[in-house]
Amino acid sequence: MSKTDHTSLTRRALLQRAGQVGFMGAAGPLAMSLAGVGEAAAFEANDYKALVCVFLYGGNDYANTVVPYDIPNYDKYAHIRGGGPDRGPGGIAIARSALERTALTPVGGPALTDDMQFALNPNMPNLAGLFNKGRAAVQLNVGPLVTPLTKAQFEGNNRDLYPLPPKLFSHNDQQSVWQALGSEGATIGWGGRLGDLAMDSNQQSLLTCISAAGNAVFVAGREALQYQISPSGAIDVNMLSEPAYANDAISYAMRQIITKESSNTLEREFVNVTRRSMEMEGIVNGALADVNLSTSFDTRAGDNPLADQMKIVARLIGAQKALGSKRQVFFVSLGGFDNHDRLMENHPTLVGQVDEAIGSFYAATVEMGVADKVTTFTASDFGRTLARNADGSDHGWGGHHFIVGGAVNGGRYYGTAPHISLDTDDQVGQGRLLPTTAVDEYAATLARWFGASDSELPDVFPNIGNFSNTNMGFV
Amino acid sequence: MKLSPMTAGIDDTGGGASASMISDVEAARFLQHAQMTSRPEDIAAVQKLGFEGWLDAEFARPRGQTGVEWLTAEGHDKVTPEGEYFWPQFGDWMAWNQMLTGEDQMRKRAAFALSQFFVVSLDPIDGFWPPYMIAAYWDLLCKHTFGNFRDLLERVSLNAAMGLYLNTKGNLKEDEATGRRPDENYAREIMQLFTIGLYELNEDGTLKRDENGEPIETYTQDDITNLARVFTGYDYNQKNVKRRDVEWLDYPVPSVDFALDPMVIDVEEHSFLEVNFLGKHIPAGTHPARKFPYVHDVLFNHPNVGPFFGRQMIQRLVKSNPSPDYVARVTAAFNDNGEGVRGDLKAVWKAVLLDPEARTVSGDGMDGKLREPVLRFAQWARTVGVEAEEGTVYCFNTSRSDNALGQSPLRSPSVFNYFRPGYVPPQTEMARADATMPEFQLHNETSTAGYINFLHWTIRWGAPQMRPTYAPLLPIAHDTEVLVDWLNLHLAAGQLSDQTCAVIGTALASKGVTEDSSDDEKKDLLASACLLVMASPEYLIQK
Repeated sequence: MSKTDHTSLTRRALLQRAGQVGFMGAAGPLAMSLAGVGEAAAFEANDYKALVCVFLYGGNDYANTVVPYDIPNYDKYAHIRGGGPDRGPGGIAIARSALERTALTPVGGPALTDDMQFALNPNMPNLAGLFNKGRAAVQLNVGPLVTPLTKAQFEGNNRDLYPLPPKLFSHNDQQSVWQALGSEGATIGWGGRLGDLAMDSNQQSLLTCISAAGNAVFVAGREALQYQISPSGAIDVNMLSEPAYANDAISYAMRQIITKESSNTLEREFVNVTRRSMEMEGIVNGALADVNLSTSFDTRAGDNPLADQMKIVARLIGAQKALGSKRQVFFVSLGGFDNHDRLMENHPTLVGQVDEAIGSFYAATVEMGVADKVTTFTASDFGRTLARNADGSDHGWGGHHFIVGGAVNGGRYYGTAPHISLDTDDQVGQGRLLPTTAVDEYAATLARWFGASDSELPDVFPNIGNFSNTNMGFV
Repeated sequence: MKLSPMTAGIDDTGGGASASMISDVEAARFLQHAQMTSRPEDIAAVQKLGFEGWLDAEFARPRGQTGVEWLTAEGHDKVTPEGEYFWPQFGDWMAWNQMLTGEDQMRKRAAFALSQFFVVSLDPIDGFWPPYMIAAYWDLLCKHTFGNFRDLLERVSLNAAMGLYLNTKGNLKEDEATGRRPDENYAREIMQLFTIGLYELNEDGTLKRDENGEPIETYTQDDITNLARVFTGYDYNQKNVKRRDVEWLDYPVPSVDFALDPMVIDVEEHSFLEVNFLGKHIPAGTHPARKFPYVHDVLFNHPNVGPFFGRQMIQRLVKSNPSPDYVARVTAAFNDNGEGVRGDLKAVWKAVLLDPEARTVSGDGMDGKLREPVLRFAQWARTVGVEAEEGTVYCFNTSRSDNALGQSPLRSPSVFNYFRPGYVPPQTEMARADATMPEFQLHNETSTAGYINFLHWTIRWGAPQMRPTYAPLLPIAHDTEVLVDWLNLHLAAGQLSDQTCAVIGTALASKGVTEDSSDDEKKDLLASACLLVMASPEYLIQK
């Protein structure tokens, strides 16, 4: 029921079909496609939208990121995580008093499970501020699912009716499921699929799907290619313009050699990337040269590789008019979240880097007047256990995530808050959350905002038909 | 006694080839699979001994200076007020010194492959003496490179750096009162990455399927939770540690010994619950001294290990996308070295390197692999010669992709290595053919340019600790045709096309270097020549 291989419904295909419909007259079964065409055309609207995926590699500890703050739930959290006396620090629990400054004050939405109130990690004042100003939302307990699932179904044996996502709790596979809805080896990400739909709207189709981190399947489409950029911009092959101890003849030979046609597949594919690099470098750096951003990405704690990546993304967005970009999907990442040990030492620094990077990035979009055109969201391998190891937490499943931007219906929570518990039915042991919102639902909500139509969603998210809610409403 | 796979081949360019039949190009190509360089003297050795004889000689070659010995010889165990005991960069220097020096380079080449299977990275290692931690791990891999997989596996589990990296160090038993659970990290990764992998495999490395055609998972979360109990109670071995009070710290500085010695068990912190994993049962109360070797036996004897490990070693040394038959032959060697011994790594290296599929250029356009950046650079440095202005040769962390190699030894970004064995570059002909190409995971618009820029500077000027001498090449710098042929053979195993050689030759001739030119002028030319060769896709794709 879940693994239907949908035929490709690219925008072009839809437009062709629309032509046929127009000729033959709209018939019932085709009405759905026709409706889709109208929405697909949104990609051609003369506006700009960008999605920015902030991937937290290693599996973020959800419970110390979005922390129970009301007394009864805080006490349960502190008990499970080994908190100290008088709600002080201990084990892997954050002291309650430390959470005061980052307490969240939602402006709407239904009451949460057990009347839960939350605060963010004390190192996340920027995100707490954005939430309280309505510019950031929290999606509770989202993770990979094939169908909606209860704990009994999870523990049962009927995998035909209740299939599980592949290789739960495994880093590389769950990274791949989040990015590409399939375990490791998947070659097409959902960001890339959105790129496929949108790339014709961009003057430079190669600048549709961009990673400022390493190669990531998220931004690989069927047609849309991943373009990789460094924090300092596109990298020029220096010796082509400045041969130094070499000379112009050697420069000339270099250009011939590194762009040479070949009958060998590996050589040819290697050269394709080099050629793209050389072709885009001048265009990209030329456009970036005119972007003046006064927002500071300098951060308190020294090196922040995520802030460096988000700065170049902000600058590329600043160059979108010059580059003729209408729809872009970006990928940035930060590693180090696999905090089995020394969680209280390392995790606060990491979420602090996320907070500073996203805070600066949002400010930059405000400065450039595109805050409502850019939506940033977080993703991670998995959430972690609520239970603790010696001084860390283990691989989990669902987790809490952030959506930030001027278009976000912020200041509230989406989805269902899990009980703070190791034995309720919303977790599958040790506080590994059984997701109540699927990655597909979370992602489809972002895809709709980006411009994907109802009819295009099943092609991007093959399992979306298994879920009733394709629009969480957070953007 | 059954024939070992390396002598069973009928292809007479295979392991059975008599030494005199091996051409320069065949020898160079073999050497570039088996070690880092294919210098004239290396080629002569292979031609004299034959492929298998050369491997036997390398297996017998004494180890060179170890990583730990180098650190200590350089004085990196000194307790200084600057707190050098916390500095990780000596670990990078150690790793590069090991890659760039020492004649035991076949051992190091194979150990480098092992370091990408049993991954520990210097990246997150902190606290006292990170260089000693990573050096002791590297030395462990080197020590067991020609030993048995089973011994190596258990040593890896007890190594201090691995203990810190995957959290066996300080892992505590369950505590029902507080809900605390054993850490599952090592239990998971020793199965997923170090022994059996996710799915049941046939001997040829292909997936076994159930009656519905679905892959069969090798273990469940429950297996991990159970196995995790075995890895509780371990911590650094403090027995040989001497502590020294210093005036600038309010705690003593330990000697490096905790990084060198295998971790030890504290039974008070060890879980004595029963363990049920992979269909095996260990009763409650079993002593860890019995349990620990037993679980390593169980994992080692799982039929997946041969194909899972073997295919990755083929990928590291020879080609990205081996045929199932090739994998099956390596599996057979892993399972039985011909004398009834399982896990003999010497037999694995022979099976990988002497296989007819390794020793034959197929002409299939999908064959071969992308050379790893670290190996390109080590090959260059060892081939043209580098020397330090003072002291010993080493290089720095080369992990950045925008201005360095995008890869540095013992600096994997995670336990999943620099690249995944199953990586398929999206939207390429490889993806359409479902062909795995791990090293392509490092190749993108940034790294392709960053690599050439790094070389442009470095292969001419180097750094204070590694100035290129070009000693073997200075005498032929004026004769571009001879020079290009030399580089084609010794760097590219003869795989540069005539057309590319002509382009390089013409460009070099423009420099007008003669026998009377200065060494600096000759080095300008030699660096240009190396740059052009090493940027060429015909070199970069090792066929």
